[in-house]
Amino acid sequence: MKGLEDKYMTEHDERQIRDALRQSFPPVKTELRKDLWPDVLRKLDHHPVRVPWYDWALVGLSAAMFLAFPRLVLVFAYHL
Amino acid sequence: MDLLQRFAHGEIDAFETLVRQFQGDIYAWTVRIVRDSGVAEDLTVETLWRIYRARHQFRPDGNFSAWARQISTNLAIDHLRRNRPEQSFLVEPAGVLQPDPLVQRETQERIQQAFRRLPAKLQVAATLALVEELPYDEIASALGTSVGAVKLRVFRAVRILRKRLSQAEVRPE
Repeated sequence: MKGLEDKYMTEHDERQIRDALRQSFPPVKTELRKDLWPDVLRKLDHHPVRVPWYDWALVGLSAAMFLAFPRLVLVFAYHL
Repeated sequence: MDLLQRFAHGEIDAFETLVRQFQGDIYAWTVRIVRDSGVAEDLTVETLWRIYRARHQFRPDGNFSAWARQISTNLAIDHLRRNRPEQSFLVEPAGVLQPDPLVQRETQERIQQAFRRLPAKLQVAATLALVEELPYDEIASALGTSVGAVKLRVFRAVRILRKRLSQAEVRPE
């Protein structure tokens, strides 16, 4: 009985809150007013995709390891 | 090679075609969440930029639209989180919703304020489920979670909102 009452209250609450929210937040216009491609292109030009410094560090470290211990290449190749 | 494969290989022409094809959908989704056209446009550009940056992670046999929607939803959540009102909520009781348009308007503003103070993830789930009345499975897919988790978020949003509105003596009719 208590469970049913709780369920009713929850549904009632949800309905009441939903109605209040729909009154408080009128529908928004979902049509895009302009083509955004020029803005995207500008952003791509201003923020080119860069390889982070730690990737370069990893490449450098790997190269140094292979130079110092050439047999590591075989171990590496085995695991690929 | 099809469009999505060319995009995944970094061809800018393919990306431009995808932008023109999907920018409207991404904007429409974002504006439903943030409810501000200017902010939604900025977030759409940011979403498209991130999509291009993450093109190597995209599987050409995957669903581009669903992937774009997840990225835009995450960005919208971040935006709501950053712009969550700081001030303490509803200090003065606002009274019962009445026919007076001024009082009604004030009550609606207080409800909006209370809603904007909800945690961003609850706010997004409640906006899409209660205000936009979108299907739960569609919301779950965009949030990258289960239908059950979305229902729980909506339930929690309603409970918090109900408590805060009752504390402030705002009674939605």
